[in-house]
Amino acid sequence: MTDWKKAALALSAGIVGIGLAACAQDDQQGDSAAADGPAEAAAASDTPAAQGSDDDKSGAVRPPKNPYPSTYNPYPSETTFITGATVLTGTGERIDNGSVLMENGRISAVGADLEAPEGAVIIDAESKWVTPGIIDIHSHLGDYPSPQTASTSDGNEITGPNTAEVWAEHSIWPQDAGFTRALAGGVTAMQILPGSANLFGGRSAIVKNVASRTVQDMKFPGAPYGLKMACGENPKRVYGDRGGPFTRMGNFSGYRKAWIAAKDYKKKWEDYWSAYDEWDPDGDEDEPSAPTRDLQMETLMGVLDGDIRVNMHCYRGDEMVQVLDMAEEFGYKVTTFHHAIEAYKIADYLAENNVCAAVWADWGGFKLEAYDTIQENAALIHAQDGGCAIIHSDSAIGIQRLNQEAAKAMAAGRRMGLDLPEEVVISWITANPAKAMGILDQTGTLEAGKMADLVVWNQNPFSVYALAEHVFIDGAQLFDRNNEAISPRVDFEIGQGGNQTTGGAGQ
Amino acid sequence: MTMTVRKQIIAAIASTACVFTPVFAQQTTAIMDGRVLTGDGQTIEGGDVIIRDGRIAQVGSDLSAPAGARVIDASGKTVTPGIFAPVTTLGIEEISLDAEANDSGPNRGEGFPLGAALDAVDAIRSSSMVIPINRAGGVTRALVVPSPGDSLFGGKAAVIDLSGSDNSITRAGVAQVATLGYGGANRAGDTRMGSWAMMREMLDEARSYSANPNDYIRRAREGRHAIADLKALAPVVSGNQPVLAFVDGETDLRTLIRVKNAYGLRVIVVGGNEAWKVAPALAAANIPVILRPTSNLPSQFEDLGATLENAVRLHRAGVTIAFTGTDSDSFNLTALTHLGGIAVASGLPYDTAVAALTRNPAEMFGLGDDLGTVAPGKIADIVLWDGDPLEVTSAAEMVFINGAEQDLSNRQSALLARYRDLSRGALPHAYRGGE
Repeated sequence: MTDWKKAALALSAGIVGIGLAACAQDDQQGDSAAADGPAEAAAASDTPAAQGSDDDKSGAVRPPKNPYPSTYNPYPSETTFITGATVLTGTGERIDNGSVLMENGRISAVGADLEAPEGAVIIDAESKWVTPGIIDIHSHLGDYPSPQTASTSDGNEITGPNTAEVWAEHSIWPQDAGFTRALAGGVTAMQILPGSANLFGGRSAIVKNVASRTVQDMKFPGAPYGLKMACGENPKRVYGDRGGPFTRMGNFSGYRKAWIAAKDYKKKWEDYWSAYDEWDPDGDEDEPSAPTRDLQMETLMGVLDGDIRVNMHCYRGDEMVQVLDMAEEFGYKVTTFHHAIEAYKIADYLAENNVCAAVWADWGGFKLEAYDTIQENAALIHAQDGGCAIIHSDSAIGIQRLNQEAAKAMAAGRRMGLDLPEEVVISWITANPAKAMGILDQTGTLEAGKMADLVVWNQNPFSVYALAEHVFIDGAQLFDRNNEAISPRVDFEIGQGGNQTTGGAGQ
Repeated sequence: MTMTVRKQIIAAIASTACVFTPVFAQQTTAIMDGRVLTGDGQTIEGGDVIIRDGRIAQVGSDLSAPAGARVIDASGKTVTPGIFAPVTTLGIEEISLDAEANDSGPNRGEGFPLGAALDAVDAIRSSSMVIPINRAGGVTRALVVPSPGDSLFGGKAAVIDLSGSDNSITRAGVAQVATLGYGGANRAGDTRMGSWAMMREMLDEARSYSANPNDYIRRAREGRHAIADLKALAPVVSGNQPVLAFVDGETDLRTLIRVKNAYGLRVIVVGGNEAWKVAPALAAANIPVILRPTSNLPSQFEDLGATLENAVRLHRAGVTIAFTGTDSDSFNLTALTHLGGIAVASGLPYDTAVAALTRNPAEMFGLGDDLGTVAPGKIADIVLWDGDPLEVTSAAEMVFINGAEQDLSNRQSALLARYRDLSRGALPHAYRGGE
């Protein structure tokens, strides 16, 4: 194996993972953020003073749930009418010769018999296809950016098997050229995860794929946090000679000890809050003192509270089912198993437990727990009643063609006889990841009222020849394949190569 | 080197590459009425291909099936030469992250003393389950490429067929692997200058050894390079065996061309992210490039010029190209056809993409007389596809290697058969689908 191959493995297979960690807002707050402007709403709902203040008391201590709030604001958009296209809505519907109207950054109408409002920008999309913006539930853009040097390798905090306290957003470099290439592939939102070296890798960040000076400007307004956890080979390989875990048994004892500690921690705070509620400032007793904050436990408590979504890197079917028991033991929910090479062996368990599986179309075999990969995996996950299949990338190259990955998985499913029309399969890279990430109320489908995140493809996107021609995020066209001026270039790529500008989304 | 000396070297080490004799299917097969992409730029609608005794006997559009031939109706199908995967670890790497199941090269940093002397043929396990998986995807031939440990040189690559039979070696000693660019610098004091100085030193030593092996062995010397490695480099310095050079950056490519010219080497570039910047010089030096069509990120400074248009720009300049992937993906070489489609979507002519998957690797590795196209006289490595072979939704339906139809079942299809029904059944899943 050559060096670059080894590097690719280390990044994408060996010790990469995901980590989602702390949901700051509930759905209702998300909605208000969408309506009122994300920054203000997020700030208002998450400051300690706003939560639990009391006329008679200065207020109990409440650790901030969202101290690095989204400052994302949509870019200016025009009323835009896309017409004559084959529209896949992401809700399972296909509209031939369909139209989509975007107004004020939102989708305002989708259908077959729409008329363009006066003054609208018209995109004639005859023979073209329109889909929701592509969403990658598993990316390391920004935390394993290009260039890949020791200086920029910020995806795995390999200093202990439990680093639930780290947040991916504190590693994300907004100047990663990979964001621009993903945009040219139609990706409008993604979850960026810590790597998979650790049992608990840390919190994820969900971002809009909008070039920004700051991470906060990219953060998806109202999106929950996720926690990245990892099964199997990676933690034991990394820590086997560094104090453990040394075995899969060790992995599980590591998880369970942490959940026990998190339950204790949660109880300490809840006891403190009820003591504070009962405390009479005019009485004899001292003001109850708050527990000491512990960042690691705060993330795990967020999971137990249902605020933070668990994203678990897990290849083997038997391990996934044991993880489901563990979740029940401690009263939390696993939202998505990532990589899930053997999901097809236990797809019934996943569907029964309402857990999504995010998989590659045809990548595998690079380690023993990935040895049993089959191309029908996604189709078999989907084929269960209530099955939730997601195609993910885990790769700065793969994220550029999630449409093609979905097409491969679709074709494999069709060859085994499953009925898998494009309008259904598109949900594997749009609505399903949006649902799993907690942003489906805002994006992921083409429905009136949602963020106008969409892609105009030059042809059926389930083709190797398909290219994203126009990519809109909140109604603003941020990529136009035919106009170099509408194509982002990161700082690293300007003034290079004999003082030329290289790069650009369509590079 | 004077011509006289060079001739002596050639005489001394010519034909070190041994050719193995395949077992040809002793039958006649007529593939009738398909859309035949010949691999050398022609498309024959309603085309017929007659296979006799393992070789292609006739190709045309109005042929008659010979009496007694097995007739295959290929109407609605596309017929191509078998896919030739030019950079793989088939048979020497079952699982990359499992030490015992990965023989692709010496571990880095452990000081293993040999490089060029390693020979893929010694470790190729033709029963690897990875081979039938790729065969089912239409891959019929592959170059098996050892990777360098602490040496710049990785050893001798071999071409195999994907029949999985125990005599599936097509030709040994097809190329000598070298890692240059940053990979070379890594092994030479962490500087590209070091990698080139070491390369020249080894080539000089190999020349010296080749000129008079007995004398060289008795000579007092520093002993930095193993005799076995110098011996293995003899066909390289004689210009008989190409160097498969892993290199990406423009500067390294220019230096590589100088070294090639100075030493009379044959060179094939693997990677070449910035090759388009040097395209005319590569064409003039007759250096083909096995490129990664999806590579478009500034992963290192040597990749700043990486672009999806690398393939089309090289093609326009007259450089012969083939494709390889960006990941450790010998598990899924079928994706090579998709890489061809991606190159087409970035401007490469369709027929060139087909040739890059079939004819070009065969010619690069000196097997163009026998392999790579659908043409009379060629070995019958043929694939029938259910659609456009470059399309992600297409699949191979029939695969012929050496004229013999191949079994397309594999470990993945066995797993699918076992688990497509998850109901409990009369017996456990371990009793199903393994036949």
